[in-house]
Amino acid sequence: MSTHDLTIPIAAPARPWRERLGTLIPILVLAPSLAASFVYVFVFAAWTLYLSVSTSSLLPSYGFAGLDNYMSLWANRRWNIAYTNLFFFSGFYILGSMAVGLLLAILIDQRVRGEAVWRTIFLYPLAVSFIVTGTVWSWLYNPADGIQALVRGLGWSSFNFALTSDRNLAIYAIIITGVWQSSGFAMALFLAGLRSVDPDLIKAAQIDGASTFRTYRRVILPTIAPIFLAVAVIQIQFAIKTFDLVAALTRGGPGVSTTFPAIYVYDLMFQRGQIGEGAAAAVMMLAALAVVLVPYSLWVVWRRRRESGHG
Amino acid sequence: MSYLRTAAAAAACTFLAGSAFAEPKTNLLHQWATGSDAQAIAKLGEMFQAKGGTWQQTSIAGHTANTLAKLRADVIAGNAPPAVQLKGPEIAEWNETGMTADLDELAAAEGWEKVVAPELLPVMKPTGKWVAAPMNIHRINWIWASPKVMEAAGVTEIPKTWADFNAACDKIVATGKICLSHSTADWTDSTVFEVVVYGQDLDLYKKAFVEGDIEAMRSDGMVKAFEQFRTMTTKYMDPGMNGRDWDSMSHLVGRGEAAFHIMGDWTLGLLTAGGFKQGTDYVCGQAPTDWGKPGFILNSDSVVFFQQKDPDYQEGQKLLASTILSPEFQTIFNQTKGSIPARLDVDLSNGFNPCQQIAQKDLQASIDGGTLVRSMAHNMTVPQKLRGAMMDTITEFVATPGMSAQDAANAMADAAEAQL
Amino acid sequence: MADTAIALPFDAEAAAASRRHFWSRFAIYGLLALFAVIYLVPLLVVVLNSFREQEEIARNGLISLPQSFRLNAWSDAWGTYCIAGTCEGMKRNFLNSLWMTIPATILSTLLGAINGYVLSKWRFRGSEVLFTCMLLGVFMPGQIALMPWAFVLGKLGLTNSTYGLILVHVIQGISFTTLFCRNYYVGIPDDLIKAARIDGAGFWRIFRKIILPLSPPILIVTVIWQFTGIWNEYLFGVVFTSGQQQPITAALVALTASGTTARSYDVMSAAVLIGALPPLLIYLFGGKYFVRGLTQGAIK
Repeated sequence: MSTHDLTIPIAAPARPWRERLGTLIPILVLAPSLAASFVYVFVFAAWTLYLSVSTSSLLPSYGFAGLDNYMSLWANRRWNIAYTNLFFFSGFYILGSMAVGLLLAILIDQRVRGEAVWRTIFLYPLAVSFIVTGTVWSWLYNPADGIQALVRGLGWSSFNFALTSDRNLAIYAIIITGVWQSSGFAMALFLAGLRSVDPDLIKAAQIDGASTFRTYRRVILPTIAPIFLAVAVIQIQFAIKTFDLVAALTRGGPGVSTTFPAIYVYDLMFQRGQIGEGAAAAVMMLAALAVVLVPYSLWVVWRRRRESGHG
Repeated sequence: MSYLRTAAAAAACTFLAGSAFAEPKTNLLHQWATGSDAQAIAKLGEMFQAKGGTWQQTSIAGHTANTLAKLRADVIAGNAPPAVQLKGPEIAEWNETGMTADLDELAAAEGWEKVVAPELLPVMKPTGKWVAAPMNIHRINWIWASPKVMEAAGVTEIPKTWADFNAACDKIVATGKICLSHSTADWTDSTVFEVVVYGQDLDLYKKAFVEGDIEAMRSDGMVKAFEQFRTMTTKYMDPGMNGRDWDSMSHLVGRGEAAFHIMGDWTLGLLTAGGFKQGTDYVCGQAPTDWGKPGFILNSDSVVFFQQKDPDYQEGQKLLASTILSPEFQTIFNQTKGSIPARLDVDLSNGFNPCQQIAQKDLQASIDGGTLVRSMAHNMTVPQKLRGAMMDTITEFVATPGMSAQDAANAMADAAEAQL
Repeated sequence: MADTAIALPFDAEAAAASRRHFWSRFAIYGLLALFAVIYLVPLLVVVLNSFREQEEIARNGLISLPQSFRLNAWSDAWGTYCIAGTCEGMKRNFLNSLWMTIPATILSTLLGAINGYVLSKWRFRGSEVLFTCMLLGVFMPGQIALMPWAFVLGKLGLTNSTYGLILVHVIQGISFTTLFCRNYYVGIPDDLIKAARIDGAGFWRIFRKIILPLSPPILIVTVIWQFTGIWNEYLFGVVFTSGQQQPITAALVALTASGTTARSYDVMSAAVLIGALPPLLIYLFGGKYFVRGLTQGAIK
């Protein structure tokens, strides 16, 4: 691809000022956004990193505390639950929304009637804030008024759907709601991918006599492999940032069973006035993100290089 | 004619002269966003305006963390709010930042020292200077009871001791009713638990929950309290305590579905709003104590003032503080909210509920008897981090039926120790 | 197919094929319908409850067919319900949100388009690295940025104003919009640009005459994404504004947070719907373009 790049000749002497300005314009235009993003990403993160080794409590202060905040963080049972929850939730949430999203995309891809209607139905939860989703689903999970009461009212008196009130099941309530909200997005991405598959490839497979199932497994899905990764990465960053949903659905309860890192950070930094330890928790969140992002970015760069090599 | 003109000119002059001075105004940051709380705070606004102030408020609903996040953001941004609803140890913490305003002059002029309940003084003046104005006193250790349910089970009076309570509950559960209506959340669990600890052992309460003593948390007394609490969570509370709203819990008592509910005096407002009648639908009494004296676990809402540059806001702070401590406001506010005045010299015989009158009497009696304590669950004693660690353990205990009382006491001590 | 079926009415193979076809269609529509029900139930519950009376909800539970129909809850939620001490409903917050979301969406989309244009068509040494750095903004958790933002807004004198929130949302949004636009513009043939440059067109002229006319699919994706995200944002809205400036999410939380009064599910349902309406409408009318825009290269 780089062969097609417009390389901008920079040091060509004796050119009219207009043209020289022309070469600067792109950089000038980009500069404000770059500067703002730089501050937003690096300065803010560096500040948090600094706070995490400081003695900050009620307000930021700049005495050096070494790794005390990290020690105290990892000694905290609630934080350990939060971190474990994050991995557990992320796994099920991502797999769940990818599975449902892919299934829906494939179903819709079967030239169904009223495609726009189906698509809108599956996509609309994405438009709704986590606050709204969490509030409404907390009504549905409410054992006295919600789904459980409804089904029992219909005659199945031992039906149990009181997920949010059981410490072992509450996390599944969050997973289900999260999948409900985000699988539409996965569907849209998968559908976009399915539509971009070269029709000739599919035809060739069909002429060879492959069944629909086989065609998908052997031909279509492998060609959209990058989309799986894109969906996964987008969902992971949603998972790590999960805050509003849990806040509205379970508030971290019952007990501390559904505490998440983002909730913990917020509680410590703002409610309990432990900015130092809260910042340490935030740094651990960033570390979790980096674990996912760094390999992915490297892979993207590698793929781009390879493609441009072919180009 | 000329007389009129002179008068008009004089009036104009006074008006102009007046406007040359600061015009008191304020913006109160608080978390009373809905219902009777919001009504109560609206009363404060009306009185402030009636005294010539310009009233603004910012109410942040939901979790306290949101209010504190806003306060912190404002302080970091360099414009601390003129007045904030803050309580307990937070007052001292913010006082340490050196940003709070000094109300000593006003306090001396109005003689606050003599009329405000003595237990509140160290909270309102953490380093000897007044920085906060108390609005009310809440009593935590109430038990709300359904006379119908009690009668049907043959329980003749509100249990006085925890042994009485267990005996009464056994009878009530046998009749198929819920004995103790409850909904789990960290603060509701902690409310009931601190009432248990207080009722069993006053000294233990003071050591563990007021002073934050780690060894007291690990002690046999605490194990005993957890054992009593376990009996209550497994035998006397119903499984529906998960996933219910705390604000409908008192209605179970009002409707005669549950015998008791242990919760602070704001329950009064909920019961009244639910249309329940005192005496027939519910009665109130002091939560059980094993030491046979009037007791009082106290919670108090207060407003803290941050230093301002704008003289209008400075003037507004004085006016607001003076309004808050005026007997008129303390009366109106607390009639709406269900609590009692922070001033001990307000007469409750008119317009107050009998439960509130009992509360005031018990408050005085517990001051005299040395049994008055501040509430840990409602953030009046130890710093937030310590309170948070303790509350985590308590709510964990409720949610984990397999956790033993011994383990719970140790876990609480360990969690608290990790915060030191 | 139909012709053969008529010509050979007893062809067992064709009959079996058509039966198989019928069952597979049946399964497809059946599954779709099943999922559609799961997806729609929460919405349906809220819509129905917004028309029911509070007493009826209290009596029959949250999920049940309405036995009454009235619009009071809607007008209450919009204009008279008491939230946070003032009894003006959510209309002011709704307008605040509009005044914040629209400019922030337009600004961040425009900036994203220009950035994407530079990063795809006017690359320079290190532009890929810069792009990757900007991309990291996508992953920044809001709780971390909260306090630094408070500091920055304080220095700029933008606390407690819609402008402050617009600034925050624009900067946080740039990463997303740049990512979307850049990936889309990469697909526009460079030859088009080259030809235009030979004709003497400059930076802005190429942008106006070539890039923008090709942009609608991706701009729609970006606008939908930004509008929804900004409209639904809660944490910054509640912390950086106060009183009458607060956006609708803050009002929603204030309304649904159980205070010391009993919950009125009817008004809460109407409020939830009012709060969700603008993004819902955008998805309803723009959903088609959203999928199409994604197809054309937002994901790469």
